[in-house]
Parts: sequence; C-alpha cells; structure tokens
Amino acid sequence: MDICPTSALFRAPNGVVDFDDNSCIGCKGCMNACPYDAIYINPETNTANKCNFCNHRVEVGLEPSCVVVCPTHSIKVVDFDDADNEALGILRREHLAVRSPEQGTAPKVYYRGADEASLDPLRTAIRGDGLIWADVTPDHPTPPTDEADLIARTTYTTAHITTWKAKVSGYLVTKAIAAGIMFFASLMVLLGHADQTAKVGFVPGLLGALFLLVTGILLVADLKKPTRFHLVLTRGNTSSWLVRGAYILGIYAVSLGGWLLAALIESSQILSVLAVPVAVLAACTAGYTAFLFGQCEGRDLWQSRILLPMLLVQAVAAGGSVWLISDVLVGMPEPTVVRWITIGALTASGILVLLEVFGDHSPHVAMAVRSMTRGDQRKLFLTGVLGGLILPIILLAGSLLFDSAATTLSFVAGASALVGMWSYEHSYVLAGQSVPLS
Amino acid sequence: MSDTSESRYLGDDSFYKNPSPNAGLTNYPPHDQWHNWTELDAKAWPQRVERHYRLIPTTCFNCEAACGLVAYVDRDTGEVTKFEGNPEHPASRGRNCAKGPATLNQVNDSERILFPLKRIGERGGGDWEQITWDQALDEIGARIRTALLEDRRDEIMYHVGRPGEDGYTERVLQGWGIDGHNSHTNICSSNARIGYQSWMGHDRPSSDYANAEVIFLISSHLEAGHYFNPHAQRIIEAQEKGATVICVDPRLSNTGSKADHWLPAWPGTEPFLLLALVRLLLENGTWERDFVRRWTNWETYLAKTRPDLEVKFELLERALLDEYEQYTPERAEYVTGVPAEQLREIASVIGAHPTKFASHNWRAAGAGNLGGWQTARCLFFLNVLTGSVGTIGGTSGNGWNKFKPNAPLGAQKIEHWNEMSWPREYPLSYHEMSILLPHFLNERRGKLDTYFTRVYNPVWTNPDGFSWIEALLDPSKVECHVALTPTWSETALFADYVLPMGVGSERHDLASFETHAGRWIGFRQPVMRRFAELEGKSIDNDSRTHEFNPGEVWEENEFWMDLSWRIDPDGTLGVREHFESRSNPGKPMSVDEYYGRIFAEEVPGLAEAAAAANQTALEFMRDRGAFAVPTDSYLPYERVVDPASVEDCVRDNDGVFRKPGTAGLFDGSEEAFAETSLSPLGDGSPAVEIDGEIKEGFPTPSKKLELYSTTLADWGWPEYATPTWIPSHVHWEDLDLDGDERILLPTFRIPTLIHTRSANSKWLNEISHRHPLWIHPEDAEKLNIGENQLVRITTRLGHFVIQAWRTEGIRPGVVAASHHMGRWRTGQDQGRSWSNGRADIQNDGTTWELSRRGGMDAYPSDDPDSERIWWSDTGVHQNLTFAVQPDPVSGMQCWHQRVRVTPAEDGDSYGDVLVDTAKSREAYLEWLSKTRPAPGPHGLRRPLWYARPLKPTAEAYRLS
Repeated sequence: MDICPTSALFRAPNGVVDFDDNSCIGCKGCMNACPYDAIYINPETNTANKCNFCNHRVEVGLEPSCVVVCPTHSIKVVDFDDADNEALGILRREHLAVRSPEQGTAPKVYYRGADEASLDPLRTAIRGDGLIWADVTPDHPTPPTDEADLIARTTYTTAHITTWKAKVSGYLVTKAIAAGIMFFASLMVLLGHADQTAKVGFVPGLLGALFLLVTGILLVADLKKPTRFHLVLTRGNTSSWLVRGAYILGIYAVSLGGWLLAALIESSQILSVLAVPVAVLAACTAGYTAFLFGQCEGRDLWQSRILLPMLLVQAVAAGGSVWLISDVLVGMPEPTVVRWITIGALTASGILVLLEVFGDHSPHVAMAVRSMTRGDQRKLFLTGVLGGLILPIILLAGSLLFDSAATTLSFVAGASALVGMWSYEHSYVLAGQSVPLS
Repeated sequence: MSDTSESRYLGDDSFYKNPSPNAGLTNYPPHDQWHNWTELDAKAWPQRVERHYRLIPTTCFNCEAACGLVAYVDRDTGEVTKFEGNPEHPASRGRNCAKGPATLNQVNDSERILFPLKRIGERGGGDWEQITWDQALDEIGARIRTALLEDRRDEIMYHVGRPGEDGYTERVLQGWGIDGHNSHTNICSSNARIGYQSWMGHDRPSSDYANAEVIFLISSHLEAGHYFNPHAQRIIEAQEKGATVICVDPRLSNTGSKADHWLPAWPGTEPFLLLALVRLLLENGTWERDFVRRWTNWETYLAKTRPDLEVKFELLERALLDEYEQYTPERAEYVTGVPAEQLREIASVIGAHPTKFASHNWRAAGAGNLGGWQTARCLFFLNVLTGSVGTIGGTSGNGWNKFKPNAPLGAQKIEHWNEMSWPREYPLSYHEMSILLPHFLNERRGKLDTYFTRVYNPVWTNPDGFSWIEALLDPSKVECHVALTPTWSETALFADYVLPMGVGSERHDLASFETHAGRWIGFRQPVMRRFAELEGKSIDNDSRTHEFNPGEVWEENEFWMDLSWRIDPDGTLGVREHFESRSNPGKPMSVDEYYGRIFAEEVPGLAEAAAAANQTALEFMRDRGAFAVPTDSYLPYERVVDPASVEDCVRDNDGVFRKPGTAGLFDGSEEAFAETSLSPLGDGSPAVEIDGEIKEGFPTPSKKLELYSTTLADWGWPEYATPTWIPSHVHWEDLDLDGDERILLPTFRIPTLIHTRSANSKWLNEISHRHPLWIHPEDAEKLNIGENQLVRITTRLGHFVIQAWRTEGIRPGVVAASHHMGRWRTGQDQGRSWSNGRADIQNDGTTWELSRRGGMDAYPSDDPDSERIWWSDTGVHQNLTFAVQPDPVSGMQCWHQRVRVTPAEDGDSYGDVLVDTAKSREAYLEWLSKTRPAPGPHGLRRPLWYARPLKPTAEAYRLS
C-alpha cells in the first residue's frame, strides 16, 4: 500500500487489503509492488482491482464468494480473533505453507497439502506445448524451460499483463536528460561561466524544462486514469515515492523556472546562487526513481542497491550527451570537460551494468538478469550496452584525439548514448517484470 | 440503489444485526430474509451502496446433477444480478461448480436466440426468418395432428439430450399416445446402466460416499463425474475422515491425483482388475458370506454354472474361485498393467472395511469399451462381496434415493412399438438406439414426419456426425426438424424451426437424483415470473412464462401444453383431455396448477411442511426450490412386507411372491399378452422370503442380487450371465503398439464445461477453450511427435488433426483429448457462443471435410467482453471421425477408438477433419452383425421387466 499514490489501495480495519475504484489513478505501481501478482486492471473501470476478501460481503456478515461456492469446502476463512475458528485450529496444529515468505509480507493465505511446485512460480514453467485448457499469450510469463531448477510444469495459469512499458522506459531517459543537463549547467556556473547566461543559463534551462515537461507527459499518459492525475496532489499518500517523486519533480520544475528567469534577466549572481540547489534537486530528480522502484516489492531486480548510483551516472551521461549535441548546434562552453565527464559517466555505467549482471543474485533476480542478457530482452540489452556505452565511449575518445572531428563525433556519440540508454532502460524495465510471481 | 454514502468502513453496527466479521461469518442470507435482502454493491464498494434483492431459488440446467441455485433479483432494476448456491438444496447444500453461477452468462448471452425462427431457402443454408409463436405452434401442431390421424405415430419423435427434468415430457408423449421418445442414453450411460441393472434391477448407483471407508471410483468424480458437485463434496468429506480413495483411470485426472491409489489400467481391462480383486477377497476370506447367502441368487448360479456340484452355499466359494481362477494378481498385472502388489494391498483395504465400500462407474471405462457394461457389473460385485449394498457407507440403487412424483394428468396407453428407436437387433439396449437413427433412416426402416431435437446436438455430440448431417439434409428422411434450444448448435443449423427455450432460470421442471443417501425433489422455476408475482403482478391460468423471459423465449412445459392443444383443439383425437385443467375445464392446465397439484398431493411430507410454514405447497417450493423427501435410506431391501399384502401372490420355489397380472407370472399365453400390466421397474413381484421373513427385496426377477442373470442367459448371452471380462474393441494386445497404433480416449470432461450446453458462457469458455492431445513422452518419442506438434489421428472413418501435449499423466499406449472443445459454426455472426470457430464444410459424394477458418476472435456486441476475447483456440471436432460402435448387448456407443497416431502431413492444418461416410455404413453393418436379435423367450422384443421410457402395453412387446 506504500506505493499507492492516492491510498486507493488501503488496509481496511479488519486487516484486509482493499481498494477504492474512485481514487485509483491507474498508475499500476501496486501491480509491481505486489509480490504475488494478485492485482490487475479492471477493463471496465481502468483501475486496479484485487481480491478484497469480498469485503462488501464480510461487512454484512457473509463469507467471501469463493468460500461459499467451493464444493469441497477447500477454502476456509481464518479468523485470528476467534479462538474457536476451525481454520485457525488447523493453522495452529499443522505447519502450513505460504507463498513467497521471503518477501516479508507476512501473508495470511495458507496452503494445506500444497506441493512446493505449485507455490513457487520460479520452479515451474509453461512448456512448449502450452497450457492444458487455455491458450498461451505473451502475457503469460514463465521461466525459460531450460531453467535448471524447474521441478514441475505449469499446466494452467492466468495472464499477467506487463504494466510498465515504453512510456516508463522513456520517462527514465527524459528525466535523466532533464536532470543531467542541469548538472552540467551548474558545473559551468561553478567553473566560472555564470556570465554566459544564454548558454549556461537559458539553453540548458530550456532543455531541462522541455525534457521535464515530456517526463511529466509520459507519466500522465501512462496512467490508466490520466484525468485523475491531480489526485496525486490532492489525495497524495506521502509514503509513496510516486507522490514524493511528483513533489520532487514539481520543486525541480520551480527551480528550473527560477534558473530560466535568472537567465532571461541575465543575472549571473542568481545563477551562482541557484547552481548548488539546482544540482541537488537534479540529483533528487534523477535518483528518486530508485526509491520508487524499491517500493516495487514484486520486482526484485529493481530492488538493487546499484540502481541509485546507476540513475545518477546515467543522468550525468544523458546530460553530457545532450550538452554535446547542443554544442554542435549552438556551441556550448567547455565541451572537452563535458566529453571527459561523459566518458567517465558512461564508464561508470558500464561498471555498474557489469556488477548488476555478474553480482550475486536471488533466483528471482537471476531470472530477470537472464531475461535481459540472454532472454527476450537480449536485443534491447545488447543495443543498450553496445550503442549506449561502448560506441559512445569510443567516439568520445576519438573526439578527444581528433580535434577536427570532435564536434561531429561527440554529436553522434551523444545521440547513440541516448538511444542506447533508452534501449537499456527498456530491457531493464521489461526484464524486471518478466519474472512470474504466481 | 439507494443510500449512497461517501465514507468507507463506517463500522456502523446498527446496519446489520450481525455486522462484525469477528462474530463469525455465515454462508447464506437467512431464509426468512430472502424476500427482502440487502447487500452492499460490490462494484461501488468501499462506498456503501445498498442493493435490495429478492432471492429466488431455481435449479441449475447445466449438468445432470441439478444443483440448487438462488437468483438474486435486484428489486430496483428488476434484473438478475447473480446466481449463488441454494443452501436449502439437500444435494448441493449451497455449493456449486463454476457452471452454476455461469447461468448468468447464459441468460445474458448476446447471441442467444430470442425469437422463433423458420428456415428460408435450403435446409442448412443458414437463412432464417423470424416468425410468431402462433405460426410455429399452428404449423407444427397441424403436422402432428395429421400424422396421428393417419396413424403415422412412429414418425413423430422427440429426441432429448440430457433431460434435466423428470417425466414431464414423457407424459406429454404418452398424452399423444406415441412411442416417440428418443434419448441420448447410449452415448452416455447404457453400459453402466445394464451393469448395475443386471445385479439389482436399479440401473444407477447411489453411493453413500460421506459415510464410506473405501471409495472406489471408475470415474473422475472430483472434477467431472456424474453429479460431480454433490459427490465431490461427500467424497472429500469421507477422505477427511480417513477413507481410502481408489481411482481407476488411464489418465491422471484431478481425481486420480487426489486419490490414495491411482490405477491407470489399460482401457477395457478394468473388469479384469476388478475380478482380480474379487478373487483376492475370496482367497483372503474377507467377504460377507451371510449377506451373499441371503441376498444373491447363488442357488441359480450354482445350478446353472456348476451342474456338477450340489446346490449348497458352502460350495459357492469353491465355484467362484474356479470361475475366477485365471484372475490372479500376477495375471492381472500383465493384462491391466497395474502391479500385483498394489492389487493385493487394495484388496486388503477393501476386505478390512465390510459394508462401507462405496463405488461408482457411469461413463469412463463403461462408456469406452465393447463389453464396458461388465465394468459396472464387476465393480458392483465388490459391493456385493463386501455386503456394501444399501448400507451406511455403501452403494444403493437409484430407485431408492430418487423421488419421482406422479403427474396430475393422465395419459394414453401406448400400444405400439417404435422400431426406429427400439430395433429388434438390440432387445436388451438401455435405452433407445439413438446413435443409429441416421443409419435406420438411410436403410429406409422408416422416416420422420416431425423430429424434435431438444437441447440435443447429435451432429456435434454423437459419433458419425456427417451421417447425421446427411440424414438431416434429406427431406425424404426427416420431413420437418424442430430444434428446441436456447442457443445455436451445430444441429440447429440443420433445422426447419428453431424455437428458443429457456435456460436454468427461465423454465419449470422437476428434478430428483440419487446424489447421496437421501431423497429430494428440486424445483426449477422461471425466476422473473416468480419475481413479478412477488412484486404483485397477478399470475393466472392464462399467464405464460415467456411474458417474463427475455425476448420471446418460452419454457417447454407451456410449449407442450399449447402444442398439444393445437394438435387436438376439439378433443376428438383423445389428446386434449390429457392436458386439460381440472380447475378451469376447457383450458390447458397451467404450470401453477400442474406443479401445485404435484406438490400438494404427490410428495410425501411436503404438504405438512408447507402447512407448518403457513404456505401452500407450491409457494413453499417456489420459496425454497428443493425439499428433502422423508425416507429411510438404508437397507431398503430388508424392509419387511406385510404377509397380508402378498396374499394374492403365488410364492415360487425360490421364495419370490409373484403377482397375477404382472410380468412376474407372464407365460406367453394370449391372455398374458392381453392382461399383463407392466411395472416401471422390475417384474411387479412385491416380495421375497429370506430366512423365513418376507422382505421387499430387489426389483429383479429373482428379487435378489443376480450373481447369475437369467435374463442375459435367456436372451442370447449365456456366456455373460455372470460377471465376466469381455476383451474390448481397443484391447491393447490386439494393437500394433510397436507401430503407430494407439488407443484414443475422446470422452473425458473437464469441470468447467458441459458438452455443448455451456458454450454460451463467456466465463467458462475463457477459462477453458483448448483440448490438446495428451500423449506420453515415451510414445511421443517413438512416434516422432514433438512438443505442440500437429498430429494426425486416423480413425476408421477418416482423420482429424490436433496438437500434441506431452505428459506423463497418461498411460503409454493411450492418447486422450477432452471431448468438450471443437465447436464450430458455418456463419460469420451466428452462434459464436464464445467457443465456436468458423468452419468450412466441403462435401463430395460420401467424402466430407471440415476445415477451420481461423479461431475465436474478438467482436463487437452488446457485451463489451466480446471485444476482450483474447483466446483463439476452439479445439478440434473429434467425434465426426468416430464410427458408430454400439455394444451388441447394451447398445452403448463404445467411444474409445483404435487409431493411428502420426505426425501431421503436408497440407494438414489444425482442426482439419476428413470423413468418408461410406465407411460409416460399413462400420455400422459390422457392429450390427455382432448382435443377437429378438425375439427372446415368448416371442418378446424385450424383457418385460427391463426399464424403458414410455413402457408400452405387453402386447406391443410381441414380435410378430
């Protein structure tokens, strides 16, 4: 519930995690936060729904529908407050399994007599001949069938739609640019270029604002209920990094406004004053997504400690790339410094990617990483590494060596880095969601 | 809706009497609040929006179990919001499988047929015009009137799929005086019926699972068996108490996986396995000697099979051990593939739990195999040996646990014999030889003037569907075909009239089934009609259910009433009097009067219960939907009979009291033909003397359990008079298993679908729409069939193409695909039904080809869900490629197929079906030649004591 920006998902007084269609904005954050993949978008309402234990029935003293209908009374209600409750008795007498206890959700759905294979989605796969009674679609995530740890096959399961796709990957890149460009702008002020209010103030400020706007548009467009965007502010759940992120983006936007204003009135003093705060806000803008992804408890790949430094160096690389592209068009200050820093940021990114890929992983993360490096996201990942890291590093190194071609090489390097970054982000976003949870 | 509140979780304790979840939840609204029940709207939640309902009970119309449903009718919108279980129902006890609540889909299906349709253009051409019900009734009524006037009674045929009702329509046909009933029994249960009936007279088992200690299932009862929901409840209940569950199935069904023993015997060897258990019980001495002595016809057994022995009970064990000498566990291991040790273990478990052995076979091995009727016969042998017949925890006969009240309207005697349904080649068939109808028409044994198919889809469901299409396309064979159906079916496509009939909540019916140790009667009712009545609309003798149903959807009861009226408007045919109201003479009897009289007069205990509730019996049933008929379920055959009541009887040498004028004393004389009246069940002998006491006994000729069936012996099958194994037509030793020959199991059900009846349910078809061919990986390797690869299955008539699904959950040597999928339609927009793929049918002489034109797609309709269809598979229609294979004794279609399994060939596409109907004829004639035709003793067409729908007069049994 932490991730839900509007508290549409909430814990009811009786302990059930319930939802409210009227306040859901359809951000799908909860779908990534749920380690059981138990949340879905209701196509009638475009809002997130889940089993709420039929709380509207419980409220009037009725058992949930699945309990009532079950021919063999195989579904029972545990009432922890009723010492005479039959299911509670079973629970106290026998050791019953739960799903994904390592997620720390203290689950209250217990399975009696269930085989491990039916509770661990990583150890059972849909084979090539599909499901027993239903079609298999790309929305049926499954471990690769050559996975070594498989102990059973999945013969029936439901679809789980990948919720965050290109718009989210795009948002990561546009936000990195919006943040990174201002890192360089602030740096230029600190390096003494504050008097170039047009190129240090106006151009990066405008670019930053533009990409921040695109970031905002992508965020809103990704909502299943975009017209309810304002609820993030009016009903904001402050423990949600979606809400905190919105605040950060908002404050950052204000600071960019100040920066642009300073540039327009050609006040190098104001730029000097703003440089450090703007850089800090840019870092917050770049980095907060690590905490947002961290709230996505269902996506262990995104729980990585590498994500925060990764987002920061990516922002620097993205900012550098745009700076160098701008350099071709308008001639920006200190391109060589920017080249060096960008090479550094790209190299750091590369090291972080290596750490991500070759680090110690839980089975879940290992499967997600395999999806990136060898699985369905392989092409995106390779494009990200080759086009987004290696090629730009080589081109930028070339630009440092060959003065005459420096701007052109930097331009190509910047463009390649940005495209590659999107490709990598996209592989990362999709791979994170590729691991079946139920 | 009312009282919209913005707040969530007010914790307002005053709202309901019992609002606190911690005070314990209840499963159903208390019955006294059903007329005014308030719940909170699920979609509006957590806002508290109240919905005010009337809860109106009815009965599910999907599978045969007839579970109770409760319709929640919103008092503000006047619409059914949902169906839940009926806690008042003694069998289903408020619980349901997926198919019950899915009734809502069937009511609201955007493609259901709402108006009567009449064909324009060629039959099967797909063009229809909407007509009025008046026109339909007039035209069809006139046809039937003419046929009756011209004494072409056999040309009127009512062909019913699963009836889902008890007796109503049979009485209609009796009212018309025709032997025109045809059923689906021989694609379903003939073998099981004759297996059970040959022991105890009752043709269905009624197992007391809840109290059993050993449960032996030749079925997949936990997911799909006959009466799946009521049975599964009780099987699991017993298992929780420690019962051992044994399941015989070549396929690892859900039931197999829940069982303590899963025995994947070779198909058709099940009787061998069971007789090996019989032999072990005898060898171990763990059999109930006294029960067998008292209640089997062992004297006849010894006298007939062992003339060398004295007729002494002590010698029975020796005679049985001699008869079953070859059925050793080791031999059984070879024949069935089930390890000898496991059989020994199971025999010791069975032997340790006398009188508490509950068993069941209905379809499965029974329906699959030539001689499959011996499966039920050998299975029930275990009940007999363990004394578990009609005991607490044993298996009883359906007749004791099913309640069928008398109708309040009379009927004509049926004085002729319809050979189109009851051909002389099959004197013992249970029941009509319906699968052979197209072949009989083809041989010009007769023609049909008016042929009703009623929620019956033989083109799709029966074997040899292209022969059905050929027959239905020929107006000289079928002059007029009337399809009574809620939805489009492959058969309705070839009708002249398509008349829309109601689904489970839109019709009146009575149902009662032997689901457990107890008797009940369930009432299906049109819930919107009842709702209108409760809301104050007056319902009188002229009211009709269609006024309250969607569109112009009728209910069958009123259709038959009004049709009968038009057949005989002036009463000169002697038909009308059997449909006339008693309270409103000159008018047809209304459903209220019909059921009101039954409930008030014919159901023991009901009038008293209603009086106690201060209601009429009809109101009582309309409010509850079901009634537990008081009964003493156990040991009914042990009931003592008053000697005074058998004073007019003749006591024969075996102690049976035989009543003059019944089949028990039939001697073939002219007087006997003229004067014998036939009982629905048994030969009319009321009692038998056991150890000096006069007892009710069993409805068999011997009044005992028939270890030796004199009827089978006398009617041409002496070698099968005792429980025996008959090698199946798919017996594994006869197959080229080293080559590509395998056994195909095409019959099994899954829990979420029910034949073609559940097609019009979006929920059910979203859950299941694919049925790949189960094949063991060993077989797949041998036959070069990869994962998901297309496979060509070649049958005697042709072939079909399906996808492989490699699984260890099936015995090597056997392949299987559920029969549920493979539905098709020929038009673009008609009968998509969430499950039916578009098909092209090509015909050239006797060659027929069906090919798929894509699968299921999303499409726009009144229901937004039709645009959300995400699946495309619709399966493969297997049954088209199966020949008719009627068991020569029971008439059962022997469904298992001897097939060749090969990788698909060039040009094969998924779902292709190719059939040569000339080969159908060859197969028909070959299986026909296995029969031993009537006449039997006394020149009869059929044993007089055998059950039969519309039992005619004894005279009609005479084969002249």
